[in-house]
Amino acid sequence: MIAIDRKRLAALVAMPLALALALGGVAVGQSEAMEPDESVTGTVTFWNGYGADGDEITTFRNEVLPAFQALYPNVTVETQEIPYDDLRQKLVTGIAGGVLPDVLRADIIWVPEFADQGALMALDEEMGDFDDIAAQVFPGPLSTNKWGEHYYGLPLDTNTRIIFANDAVLEAAGVTELPGTVEEFEAMLATVQAALGPDVYGYAEGGTGGWNVLPWIWSFGGAITDPELTTASGYLNGEGTVAAVTKLKEWLDAGLMSPSILGGGTATSDQFGNGQTATVLEGPWMPSIFANQFPELGFSYMPVPAGPGGSQSVVGGEDIVVFSTTQNKDAALAFVRHMLSEESQLAMGKVGQMPVLASLVGHPDLPDYYPTFMGQLGNGNARTPVPDWPAIDEAIANAVLKSLRGDMEVQAALDEAAGIVDGLLSS
Amino acid sequence: MGTSRRYWARPWRRPSHVPVGGTTLEPLGSRLRRLLPIYGLLLPGLLLFGIWAAYPMARSFLMSFTDWRLMGESTFVGLDNYTRAVTDPAFHRALVATVGYTAVTVAGQLLLGLGAALLLNERIHGRSLLRLVYYLPVISSWVIVSLIFVWLYNGQTGVLNWLLNDVLGIIDKNVAWLAEPSTALWAIALLGIWKGVGWTMVVYLAGLQTVPEELHEAAAIDGAGTRARFRNVTLPFLRTTTTFLLVVLTIGGFSTFIPIFVMSTAATGQIGGPLNSTEVALTYTWKQAFGGGLDFAYASALSFLVAAVVALISILELRFARAQGQP
Repeated sequence: MIAIDRKRLAALVAMPLALALALGGVAVGQSEAMEPDESVTGTVTFWNGYGADGDEITTFRNEVLPAFQALYPNVTVETQEIPYDDLRQKLVTGIAGGVLPDVLRADIIWVPEFADQGALMALDEEMGDFDDIAAQVFPGPLSTNKWGEHYYGLPLDTNTRIIFANDAVLEAAGVTELPGTVEEFEAMLATVQAALGPDVYGYAEGGTGGWNVLPWIWSFGGAITDPELTTASGYLNGEGTVAAVTKLKEWLDAGLMSPSILGGGTATSDQFGNGQTATVLEGPWMPSIFANQFPELGFSYMPVPAGPGGSQSVVGGEDIVVFSTTQNKDAALAFVRHMLSEESQLAMGKVGQMPVLASLVGHPDLPDYYPTFMGQLGNGNARTPVPDWPAIDEAIANAVLKSLRGDMEVQAALDEAAGIVDGLLSS
Repeated sequence: MGTSRRYWARPWRRPSHVPVGGTTLEPLGSRLRRLLPIYGLLLPGLLLFGIWAAYPMARSFLMSFTDWRLMGESTFVGLDNYTRAVTDPAFHRALVATVGYTAVTVAGQLLLGLGAALLLNERIHGRSLLRLVYYLPVISSWVIVSLIFVWLYNGQTGVLNWLLNDVLGIIDKNVAWLAEPSTALWAIALLGIWKGVGWTMVVYLAGLQTVPEELHEAAAIDGAGTRARFRNVTLPFLRTTTTFLLVVLTIGGFSTFIPIFVMSTAATGQIGGPLNSTEVALTYTWKQAFGGGLDFAYASALSFLVAAVVALISILELRFARAQGQP
């Protein structure tokens, strides 16, 4: 096992959030102490993409839902587990046909899209305690709910990408300490190449889209747009972004990074499991997959190496939203609050749904690999939360790919992409 | 039982009391009795077609003239979506790629399908088994074979690279076939050909059964060799079959979606990747509707434009065939 004080690292990153929580006052987990409220009535339909045959739905049905029913005995919750791939299609059909649930567990990248269609309720307008709850969740996941001037949801579960390090590969290369900065990471790449190259790489990435390269862009101090999401010029083609992509190209050209970033190669998880790469950026769903596929694999976790922009990563996960068509607003909002309670978040957290409450960082009941992820979430950023994100993502992926392939100079490729994204943002 | 009392079983038969040319009015009751079973039999099919095809198409056509939104009122925008499509460079690129993909897959399927049909029309050992083997890809799932081909084309550990590089030495370094913009579309087209050859072969085999054996014998007696008999006896009989295949395969080529969707996403993480080199008309259309932005009106306009292009090409193919002397 590579020596690293993971908990201390996670605690350091999460400390500002924990402090904010302590000063914030109202605890979201207050539902535990609440008396049953019989005044709220109605039926809440809840569509979700929880795994229908796994622990997620069992825990939701057997723990989270009964706790809600105990608090709101006059509210009935009808849940539908819809596979993720079908959920979006069903929603589009539902919106068009006017048949929608009251509450939805939505992929974070859908929220601006459906908000833009006028389908979602602005929770910051409808929930009196919205600000209290918002103060207690990670800022990155929270930001995925903002569209225009309002918040149309609250984060429900979250994930992010951190570095997974293959212990055996690093040991074989003679690396004894995990790198904390970009410079140290680069030195590690060179060490791995010198000791084990050319078929074993220091780092493997599986593509050039936002999910893949944003941690590097942000950690190098780059950005996609201005904070107001009005322009990409000066950000997507700015100094930090250019530096990040240039560095990735250097690593690729020098054989320090696997060519799989160009696509068409072996999955990064397979490279990692087979000892063909020392590190990968992965999400919290991978430990259990690795445990099944590569039972002998030993690995460690570390935050994204810190660059001029700090240690930044990209946020994934789901938000909880209420449709503007709901006839059961009070019951729906009560259900949203319950799903954000410490009790519910902890229950679902135990079965793989990483909590969004900063107060649960380092909680002993949560899986032991969570602390680094939750620490990283303190510096987790959302992909540009606009309806046209898929087109923006494509522009980024193409620009980075052209740069890495040498089809275009990095600056020229990012200038071109910034122009495309400017057009998308203005439309 | 007389014919007139049995015509209900064969309703297309004109009852004897209806004169040829229909100059005398058939009594209404009789006419109803004659037509009712016909419409009765057609009704379920017409209903299904109306509900699941005609109505959505009509709605989609109307939608293409609006700024259709999922919720709230839509505004009539005239031909805006169509003019946008005509001036959309990304759509143009997708159309060009579609035409290229279609040309390659149609030619490949026709030539290889005909070749396979000619070979398997001969009395050779294991003919039935071989016909079955050639046909198997046709009935296999697009998604599954697409994923298998992603694996075959893998740039690091793929079987194709192993064969071409390690075994045959035709290439000197591995190629990421699906991640290389110059090869990705053609690699997917190869799958399209492989999967379609069996069907083309079966249709050609059926066509070959219409070639009278006596003509071959007569030509052989006149001294025609194998090649001459193929050109002058077999091919003329296959013209109608070829025209049919040309039109149907062209429509199929323009409708390609699943292999592009699956393979480009699996290999590059981008639908239509790398660098949009595998972006075809339908993936581009799908992206407008479901890939973000939910621009269903524009997607509808694109669909009708693609349908118009396919119809135009099919008409040209049929006219060309007629000019060649086919019925």
